Amino acid sequence: MSPDLETKAKRSPPSLVSSLVRAAALWAVPGLILVTLALGLVSRNSSYQSFDEPLEAAVLGLIASVETGNDGILRLSRELPDPRYQRALSGRYWMIGTTREVVDEDRYLLIPQLSSRSLYGASFDISDADFQILSEQGQDPIKFTTAGPDIDANENLRVVARQVVLPNMTTPVVVLAAADRAPVIRSIRNFILTAVTLLLLLTLGLIFAVYAQVRLGLRPLFDLGSRIADVREGRALSVEGDYPPEISPLATELNSLISHNKTIVERAQTHVGNLAHALKTPIAVLRNEAASTETTPSSIVTRQTDTMAAQVDHHLRRARAAARGQAIGVRAEMDPVIDGLVRTLPRIYRDKDLRIERTGDTDLIFRGHPRDLEDMIGNLMDNAAKWTASRIDVSIRKIEDGMCTVTIADDGPGLTAEEIETALKRGARLDEATPGSGLGLSIVKDLADAYNGALTFSRSQVGGLHAELRLPIAVDV
Amino acid sequence: MRLLIVEDDADLSRQLKSAFKDAGYAVDVALDGEEGHFLGDTEPYDAVILDLGLPLIDGVSVLQKWRADGKTFPVLILTARDQWSEKVAGFDAGADDYLTKPFHVEELMARLRALLRRAAGHTTDTIELGDLMVDNRAARAFVDGMAIKLTSHEFRLLSYMAAHKGRVISRTELVEHIYDQDFDRDSNTIEVFVGRLRKKIGTERIETVRGLGYRLLDPESETTD
Repeated sequence: MSPDLETKAKRSPPSLVSSLVRAAALWAVPGLILVTLALGLVSRNSSYQSFDEPLEAAVLGLIASVETGNDGILRLSRELPDPRYQRALSGRYWMIGTTREVVDEDRYLLIPQLSSRSLYGASFDISDADFQILSEQGQDPIKFTTAGPDIDANENLRVVARQVVLPNMTTPVVVLAAADRAPVIRSIRNFILTAVTLLLLLTLGLIFAVYAQVRLGLRPLFDLGSRIADVREGRALSVEGDYPPEISPLATELNSLISHNKTIVERAQTHVGNLAHALKTPIAVLRNEAASTETTPSSIVTRQTDTMAAQVDHHLRRARAAARGQAIGVRAEMDPVIDGLVRTLPRIYRDKDLRIERTGDTDLIFRGHPRDLEDMIGNLMDNAAKWTASRIDVSIRKIEDGMCTVTIADDGPGLTAEEIETALKRGARLDEATPGSGLGLSIVKDLADAYNGALTFSRSQVGGLHAELRLPIAVDV
Repeated sequence: MRLLIVEDDADLSRQLKSAFKDAGYAVDVALDGEEGHFLGDTEPYDAVILDLGLPLIDGVSVLQKWRADGKTFPVLILTARDQWSEKVAGFDAGADDYLTKPFHVEELMARLRALLRRAAGHTTDTIELGDLMVDNRAARAFVDGMAIKLTSHEFRLLSYMAAHKGRVISRTELVEHIYDQDFDRDSNTIEVFVGRLRKKIGTERIETVRGLGYRLLDPESETTD
């Protein structure tokens, strides 16, 4: 890719479809991430709430059934009903402890006064911060996590604890119940995994749905695009079809633009034509008047009117040629133009026994203005008729890429390479051209160029000039 | 030879009338399509010069009407319209030639002579009848190579009879073809012109066919007959 193309590619705006899909993804993806997070949080809270409830009940049960003996030793008047408190390292523990021992700088070990059998003589750590909260909290239980007694299982416990002052005791004791957090963590993780998977699928589905919706929504626009191409390629004269109310004004505006363009071109041509035609008769009068006397001023008038006549003709044709080539939505059937010329030229050149042979494809439609087609083929056939001994071969062939070739060959003297060059020279002075030797040929070339066509000359098989005109044709849908 | 010029530009029609009169033609002028059509329909012209952009009725329609009514006189279209489709339409309507403005009078005259020649079945502008030669191009006549002096009416008479050599031409036909519309037509003047012409080219060349008219003898066909 050349640097120019690269810049062009970079600058071209993104497609509507990708913009709309990206815009949809821009809100859908963060939205879905937030939803996932919120769901995770809610699920976590609810899981912990239901996890904490039996622990809180156990703490309350312990407080209700703990008794202080006369010996100052704590006893339970009734065991907690959950059998897991009886089984060693079952993951369910309770403990009533009084004092604490420093483990390290900010962790303390609770000294068990009374504990579940499942604890198997082990104790719990509590951080300094949690202990502070516990002391300040009073009647309300606090919740914290700590390592469990089952070191092999790498137990991670959730603890519900309360500080109470038991009857017959002066110092408060910590009553706590704990359970292994692994099941709840597993449940939360499973929930989040499922939620993320589902929401990811939802996001993809949503983006695909948006893409499909946008494509569907923009279909009339794509349709409009191809209809406009039809007009440009000469397959249609205006933008046709039913469009939704949002696009319909665009199609209508485009049609009026096409028609406006056509009108402006037509009007410009008419004005130029009118001006030139209006000048032709006065020039004829002046020229004839001057020719009827033989004084010096009259010869000047004759010369000047000749120049004026040539200029009017020249500029009229140039103006017509300039106005065309870009005309959109105009087309011309080729057969009537050629048939008309085949009919007419023998009448113009009655002194010759003109035989015009027309072969090749029929029903082709020139993608351009009918007058231009007439000017091109008319001038070439007229030139051939002027120079031919008697025979002219005209052939039209459809070639690839929506183009056709019109070949016009005569059996006249032909042109040399220099003569061809002179005949095709842009702006060649018409009054210098000998009759027929290039008059109009430069116009044909200009017109063919304006239509991205071409005009080439070579020696014909029958001896004279072989002109080949390449022209765009309308491709049928 | 009598011509009709249908041209709406007054200056141009005046010029053409004058030029063609000088060249030995009887000329009528119509300034619009309606008048042009009427004249072509009612007068026996030898040729018509017709503009296309005319007031009231356009040239192509006028021509189509004439042809539909069986008028066969040659018509030369003289117009500013130079598109091929307009030329094709003109010829399809029945034109015999087409010349675009601006033009040289000499070219118009040459084309018109060619039309008249073709209509009469001749190949050149000069018609020879033995030692009598009529040069339509120069509007002159020669006997034995010597130019003879003819008035414009005498030349028109000779030219018309030469174009129809060997055929009996009625006085009425001669009146219709050598006088233009404005001329006070009196068929007796034809006798005067024929008499003068006989004196200049030789009495025996023009035969009077009693009750029918006159005939310019063609020595060649007389000998072959």
